[in-house]
Amino acid sequence: MLDRDRALSLAETVLKAAAGADQAQVTVTIGDASYARFAGNYVIQNLDAVSTQITLTYYAGKKSASISTDDASPDSIKRIVAEARDIAHRVPPDSGFVSLPKAAPIAPATHGYFDATADATPDDRIEKLLPVFARLKSAQLSSSGFMTTQTTTSAVANSLGVRAAFTGTMSGLQLKAIAAKTSGFATFYSPDFSRMDAAGVSERAAAKATLALEPATFAPGDYTVLLEPSAFAAALKALTEGMGADNVLEDKDSWMVGRIGKRLFSPHLTLRDDWSHPLFANPPFNVNDGAQTKKLTLIDRGVVDRYVTSTYSANKYHVANTGHPNFPGNAVIEPGSRSREALLASIERGVLITRTWYERVVDPRRASITGITRDGVYLIENGKLTKTLKNFRYFVSMVDVLKEVEFSDTQVLTEPDADTNCSSVLPDAKIAKYHLAAQTSFA
Amino acid sequence: MREASDVTSAGYGVRALIDGSWGFFGSDRFDDAAFDVAAARATALAKSGTKIADRVFALQPQEKVVAHFETPMTKDPASVGLSARADMLLAAERAGHVAKSVIAGYAFLTIWTTVKEFYSTTGSAVTQMLRQAGAGCGVSALGRDQDVQMRGGPGDFALYQGGGYEVVERAGLHALMPEYGREAVLLADAPALPSGVRDLVLDSGVLNLQLHESVGHPLELDRALGWEANFSGVSWATPDQIGKLRYGSELLDVYVDNALPLGMATVGYDDEAVKPARVPLIERGILRAFLTSRDTAAQTGLVQTASTRAQDWSCVPMVRITNIVLAPHEGTLASIIADTKDGVYVAGMRSWSIDDHRLNFQFGPQIGYEIKNGKRGRIFKQPTYTGVTPHFWGSMDRVSGPEDFVVWGTPNCGKGEPEQISRTTQACSAARFRGVTVGVKSDA
Repeated sequence: MLDRDRALSLAETVLKAAAGADQAQVTVTIGDASYARFAGNYVIQNLDAVSTQITLTYYAGKKSASISTDDASPDSIKRIVAEARDIAHRVPPDSGFVSLPKAAPIAPATHGYFDATADATPDDRIEKLLPVFARLKSAQLSSSGFMTTQTTTSAVANSLGVRAAFTGTMSGLQLKAIAAKTSGFATFYSPDFSRMDAAGVSERAAAKATLALEPATFAPGDYTVLLEPSAFAAALKALTEGMGADNVLEDKDSWMVGRIGKRLFSPHLTLRDDWSHPLFANPPFNVNDGAQTKKLTLIDRGVVDRYVTSTYSANKYHVANTGHPNFPGNAVIEPGSRSREALLASIERGVLITRTWYERVVDPRRASITGITRDGVYLIENGKLTKTLKNFRYFVSMVDVLKEVEFSDTQVLTEPDADTNCSSVLPDAKIAKYHLAAQTSFA
Repeated sequence: MREASDVTSAGYGVRALIDGSWGFFGSDRFDDAAFDVAAARATALAKSGTKIADRVFALQPQEKVVAHFETPMTKDPASVGLSARADMLLAAERAGHVAKSVIAGYAFLTIWTTVKEFYSTTGSAVTQMLRQAGAGCGVSALGRDQDVQMRGGPGDFALYQGGGYEVVERAGLHALMPEYGREAVLLADAPALPSGVRDLVLDSGVLNLQLHESVGHPLELDRALGWEANFSGVSWATPDQIGKLRYGSELLDVYVDNALPLGMATVGYDDEAVKPARVPLIERGILRAFLTSRDTAAQTGLVQTASTRAQDWSCVPMVRITNIVLAPHEGTLASIIADTKDGVYVAGMRSWSIDDHRLNFQFGPQIGYEIKNGKRGRIFKQPTYTGVTPHFWGSMDRVSGPEDFVVWGTPNCGKGEPEQISRTTQACSAARFRGVTVGVKSDA
């Protein structure tokens, strides 16, 4: 039985057992995730895990309880239904809850699944890594990172007739090439493992790591920066995590408050949410409630257009349901017209940032963030990378800095965010003024 | 009540060692066919790694350990009904609404019970019943200029410890909330802490997170060896510096104790069947040891600290912070404040950021109190401070005594690829740091 059918079948079984509920929802996630994790040009952890998680949310009026288990046996299902019913009747009501979504057709999704990824073996992953290690060794570089192949099935069913299921695959390679005092980072993600460009990743990482032997000091200040997609994804999160209805309408701690309909950003900035983008392997529905995810334009040529909603928040605030968790989980930034090389060439004096770390939102109302660059930051002079620099701490308001931004013409799929597990489809971003506040003492 | 949930997960992880190469397979499927698949796939993973000829060979446990351990508790969580738990949380939340400008409050509790069994081909059989719990609460208030500020805790965010429901009761949420409410209201209209160089007094809860980020993580030996370089990072401290590196002032005494009472990482044996022992990590400011696994200890010749943990059955065990302790010295927080002429006292945590070498950091506590001539004065919002690890710990000139000592837990420490979430402990009292850069601008 396909995982998709197995997941829906499990969900049906649990729903049937929870027939006494006023409303009930079951989500099932079936995963198979493999990682070949390496350091020092050999594999330090070679692992694979299969899992099934079933979550029942049982409603007694406005009271509810959620119980999760990975045990799909009849006894376990009986137990979780009894426990959920028991808790749901004893907790206070949630006045914000109105109803689960009603049955509605879900757009068919034919993207995001590749046999080459689902069937990849440990030997397949190692065979792709051996040339990477050889390339780095030839340049006297060490390494750290991983190669992964994953298959994930998500299914949602509820007592109002919602039935939604999706299976997607993902493969990825993250590589930090390490020299004595410098390093270089590159990554590649695709739902299709047969497209894995390990050679390209190792070339890019090695080239950055060997640009210079010593990282240079450089005066902090405001500079034009080119953010590679990994770095831009982290910065963009400061905007997207404030784009849920809860942030905008209830907590009122979002940068969107009072700015919807206003031109806030550069006309080059268009942010969409599109689960069907061919680089994604994302389901066409909200995995939290099974409602169809709408394709949206959230920022349209610099104008703030709208926030996203779930069934819960849409009902609570009497607004349309966009079928999202409390943030846009399928973020796509429209590409620009110039190549990455042309953007780089257009920078007289600036800084290339490949990756950032420990980025935190300091002020959500301005989408202000602080963080530190890592794994390679480089000086751009007259359109060329001329030096490896020591790392910087930066402080920027995304609301401010994205007023002057230009994007490269090529989008890539970024690595999943550590908190949300969501990727984005992003180009490189050239930002006119980025505040590099202080420099660290190392590369 | 926004969420009442119960998560149960059962599975097993198989580690196979072939010619010095580990393979790990985790599964939640319990039948003979699934067991065969798990063994075959763990073996295939290990075997694939042997294609890398010049790998560093892994070690297997040699000794046989047969033992049982249970986390002590005084109040079984099962003895407290769900309604009673909900009533307690709702009452605590209500207690924070002390003014009209309070716009939201929260209170939560979490209880974990883990049955863990370890078996190996050397004949070891270790069974453990591990228990942890935690509870926290907080309040948000809206200021006159629409600024929203929050105050919560206890500690950085909540109290987490090893044990049963007594941990939830020890957190004392209901008693804390009115004061959090009053402080949130004041914070919402308070000025931001001006930038400058001031003496800084950290309460125990803030110091716990500072300890976690700038002492615990750098002393994980897998980081120091580069195994975490792509994700959680490396370390500014390296094994060759043991006995030489000055990590902090003479008052900095840190040890690991994975049998620590109330510790979230307290076990009978770690996930490689190593028995905990108290090991000094930093003595009088000098680096003495690292947190280790079998493999990393063997590679470096360092002592084993029983510091490997797997998030759950689906994850491979790895080096974690486990329980680290900053030894208390003398005096109280009150006496440190009374002894401070011009400084800032900070409590609670909002946001923090530290680089991947664990050197340069910025912490953003929830609330700052100005200290003038030994007395707490006006309140500041955004009392951020920044520093460089050895300089910062080198500036520590007061550590308070056992009266302020708290065993704090961190329930969500992330590390590894795929990321594993672990529960750690940092036990400490309060401390003062001289000449710290505070009030750094959040943007410019």
